[in-house]
Amino acid sequence: MQLYSPLSTPPKRQAVRAPALADLKGTRIGILENGKLNAEEMLSEVAALFVERHGCTVRMMSSKSNASAPAPANMLVALAQDVDFLITGLGD
Amino acid sequence: MAALAPRIHEVPDDLLAAIDYCYEQGWTDGLPVVPPAVDRVNALLAADSRAPQTVIARHPATGLELTLHAAAVNAVMAGCLPEYLPVLVAALEAMDRPDFNFHGSTASTGGSAPLLIVSGPYADEIGMNGDVNLFGPGNRPNATIGRAVRLILRNVFQMLPGISDKSTQGNPGKYSFCIAERARGNPWPLLCQAQGYGNGVSSVTVFAGGGFCNVENHGGNTPEQILGSVADAMANYGCITLGQSVVILAPEHMHIIAGAGWTREQAQDFLFSHARRSVEGMKEVGKYREREYDRQHGEGAHARAEAGFVHRGLAPDDILITMGGGDAGGHSCFIPSWSRGRGSIMQHAAIRT
Repeated sequence: MQLYSPLSTPPKRQAVRAPALADLKGTRIGILENGKLNAEEMLSEVAALFVERHGCTVRMMSSKSNASAPAPANMLVALAQDVDFLITGLGD
Repeated sequence: MAALAPRIHEVPDDLLAAIDYCYEQGWTDGLPVVPPAVDRVNALLAADSRAPQTVIARHPATGLELTLHAAAVNAVMAGCLPEYLPVLVAALEAMDRPDFNFHGSTASTGGSAPLLIVSGPYADEIGMNGDVNLFGPGNRPNATIGRAVRLILRNVFQMLPGISDKSTQGNPGKYSFCIAERARGNPWPLLCQAQGYGNGVSSVTVFAGGGFCNVENHGGNTPEQILGSVADAMANYGCITLGQSVVILAPEHMHIIAGAGWTREQAQDFLFSHARRSVEGMKEVGKYREREYDRQHGEGAHARAEAGFVHRGLAPDDILITMGGGDAGGHSCFIPSWSRGRGSIMQHAAIRT
């Protein structure tokens, strides 16, 4: 008996990671919060640690209107132009 | 880049062993599946004139694609017949729209399941149930079309319980959650008509259903009494959010409402106005959020959102109402949407036959 696999047969996609920052000192932080109850507070606390320990500056805070959907591409493009790295995460 | 050819597994000519093989591969929802034999899959694919590699949905985060072929394989496994495939395809096309957000609703701790409501003549043509025991077992197309959606989420999109599907408790609809709208004796325009499809065109509506709440009322004899009990269920502290709602009225309840001359729009208005909680009450249970209140009451908000109260949804047309179930019994139901906010917006699509 021959059975078809029910799984997806995706083409191989090229996915690359962004290069790691050589040094955190003086870098610019963006914050992407997802609208959950404590997201802004939690992410701001994390950012404050980078400011304190590495002399970073917080440049941008963006908010997603839908916590469970990917951030809109134009939001990510705008963030990428003004920051060196982005802090994001859940904040229930 | 084109998708790779579907993989074929050679197994012994032993049906029971093939069922066990499907278990061993991790392809099932916990229940036995029909082994997706090549000839059976090909018979299903004949129900759609498009090429088997036609992509009908994509996972927004992983890029995994659902082809017509993979839909047919999973439909066979669920127990579907070829004539069910157009309903399944339409449902997945609707779920693929970004506003439905099937990744979020499937991955979330909220534990919703895609509810499919099939409306129009095609439901009768393939023998779907919109009548007695509406959400219960016993009807092949209802059971297997809904199950095929779940198998596709699992096998094609890899939404695996405990790994990428993090439902805290899930809900029974995650096995299958598919009904027909009852056309027989329905006094209101069918959903497919209200959605603007042409004569004879059937539709499927998809909704990320967060559970099932029975609304019992055997004593009410007016629209206000029946819909008042529905509104109370919609506004219970556990359920109330700005999300959308589905209300399936039992025929007994529908006859009281429509018999008094009420239209679907009047019932929606009543439910939106009455499914509400005071801001103080919401604060008491720790569920009040200013920015959600602002969204409902801010500039341009619906006039029926009363100051000092949080209503369920943003406007009356956030509440889908139709009829379903058997002739006897004062049992309607309310199905809340997934998410604390507006995480998923219901969609509908025409069934191409």
